[in-house]
Amino acid sequence: MAESTAAPVANGREPRRPARSEKSAAADRRVADRREDETEALGRRAVELAQFYAGKIETVPKVPVRSLHDFALWYTPGIAAVSRAIHADPDRSFELTGRWNTIAIVTDGSRVLGLGDIGPQAALPVMEGKALLFKFLGGVDAVPIPVEAAAPDRLIATVEALAPAFGGVNLEDIASPKCFGILERLAERLPIPVWHDDQLGTAAATVAGVINALALTDRSFSELRTVLLGAGAANLVTARLLVALGHDVHRLTLVDQKGILSAERDDVDELMLRNPWKYRLALATDGGGRTGGLAEAVDGADLLLAASTPVPGTVRPEHVRAMAPRPIVFALANPEPEIWPDVARSAGAAIVATGRSDFPNQVNNSLIFPAVFRGVLDARARSIPDAVVLAAARELARHAADAGLTPEHLLPTMEEADVFPHIAAAVADESVRLGLARSKHSHDEFLALARSRMGRPAALARALARAGLIPPMPPERVRRKRSP
Amino acid sequence: MTASNEPSAPPAKGGPKESPSVPIRLRPARAADVPALVPLLLRLKRLNEEFDPLLKVRDDAEAQAAQVLKAQIADPKAVVLAVEGVGADKDKVVGVVRALVRERPFYAPPQEGVILDIYLLPLYRRRGVGEFVLRETSEALRTKGAGVVTAEFPAQNEIAQRFYAKRGFRPITEIHARPL
Repeated sequence: MAESTAAPVANGREPRRPARSEKSAAADRRVADRREDETEALGRRAVELAQFYAGKIETVPKVPVRSLHDFALWYTPGIAAVSRAIHADPDRSFELTGRWNTIAIVTDGSRVLGLGDIGPQAALPVMEGKALLFKFLGGVDAVPIPVEAAAPDRLIATVEALAPAFGGVNLEDIASPKCFGILERLAERLPIPVWHDDQLGTAAATVAGVINALALTDRSFSELRTVLLGAGAANLVTARLLVALGHDVHRLTLVDQKGILSAERDDVDELMLRNPWKYRLALATDGGGRTGGLAEAVDGADLLLAASTPVPGTVRPEHVRAMAPRPIVFALANPEPEIWPDVARSAGAAIVATGRSDFPNQVNNSLIFPAVFRGVLDARARSIPDAVVLAAARELARHAADAGLTPEHLLPTMEEADVFPHIAAAVADESVRLGLARSKHSHDEFLALARSRMGRPAALARALARAGLIPPMPPERVRRKRSP
Repeated sequence: MTASNEPSAPPAKGGPKESPSVPIRLRPARAADVPALVPLLLRLKRLNEEFDPLLKVRDDAEAQAAQVLKAQIADPKAVVLAVEGVGADKDKVVGVVRALVRERPFYAPPQEGVILDIYLLPLYRRRGVGEFVLRETSEALRTKGAGVVTAEFPAQNEIAQRFYAKRGFRPITEIHARPL
């Protein structure tokens, strides 16, 4: 969800103390300890289950095989005619094979969860889990493909070579900033949609939350002053999307561990070489006309989007107090937000969102990626430009608004499952509108397609479980130890 | 050559010249400019450091830069130019050029104008300023007797390679190094 690249340190202003009582600091620690225990217990159980099931997905036939004679149809000699048809018109691979519903989940294992560069093998269980999510939430057949490719060129060449088998590519857990170049170049070269969740999924969910937060506080993008804390994959893309929505680029202030990112900061030439995406944003925003640190950045700001380090206290109450009246604070670091929601609210925040499911307003990319892929696959789209990402964000926002916006209900939760087919249909519509769709349908048709295709996996899994083909979970062997 | 023959924007002679899309003023540097030029020169040297450990910037580089600039501003065989902003950046030095004329005892033409450094602040890049500065610097070197213009930059600097290649430069000498 959030980036782990930045550890901003505010400078300039003296902090107004005491910000929090000893009591609430102790409460924070208890929350953190409890969460650590839970994570540990979940980890033990996950290893047990991984051992028991030995993988989370498998391929199953989707055609009847009455006898081995049927293979004359499913395979040679009959199948040669199908190959000839595709050879004559390569796009027919989307009709005559499973390509239309199959995507590759590609990683080089260079930034897996919060674990860092653990390599492709160790990334495989995560990719399997993602494949399961794709199947369950999106009805998408996703194939985990961790590749041994430290150099971006090698990864790009590999994915390019694999593309004929797939209707889309989901890049996963690739380190920033190389993820930008990889996505850019693949999106340019491949005739199928390429997505990087850490950039686009998180940014789309964030932007959806921002759209609704603005509605709740009677603000518009054109007059907004925004601080982005952390300049990793998600925030750089969020900044780009905000500008596409009408945010004045000169009223955006990016802050990273070295302070406000401006065109003349000392390290800007180094950025030009190492992270041209951040460099370009440094030039375009030029610090929103400011220099200094977080304290200088937040002064009078309407919106703070923090996607930096999971350290509560990175954003302090005085930062929130220095913002404009009724400020909006998104503290998206995981597992611990940059500022606890209750702290942000008591410092005056009108709306607070985090990356966590146990607080209101979770900014969750799982609300985005399964539906986006459902939509682009149903439209057999050639790419996913920002306009499509924004269509997904707007639909997510609209869905929450239709259900009734409150400062505690900014975005749909995972329980509001009806949002998924709607996002899928919005994405498919936008692909058609932009001339990117190989398969064109009406909105209602796309919606019906998405509903039926998204409903299938759960029905399948239920049937397989009923038949005993998916064994029930074994009892927990290691009991959770109680902390004294 | 006297300082009055040095270039300033807009150019007075030569063929039709494209002006940069951001207004600047290019003028010969004066001794008084040194404090403003030093940080720009150091930025460029630190950028060079990114390309090769043998281009590590010395601890005393700042003092060195001031000294070298002062000496070259006074040297008739050298060209030191200051790029000034206009409008909001009026009187602010936003770029620096350092070049000199070198003898070529064995080759013709016998004098070579060497561009040692061109540095522009980021907001002045990719807007035609570099192109304009290069043209004017070349012209200044020509008036000091150079029959060929060369540019020196780190071998790994692909941005510089592309910049010069686009403007008709090709590699003629390679400098290879190993530490001793």
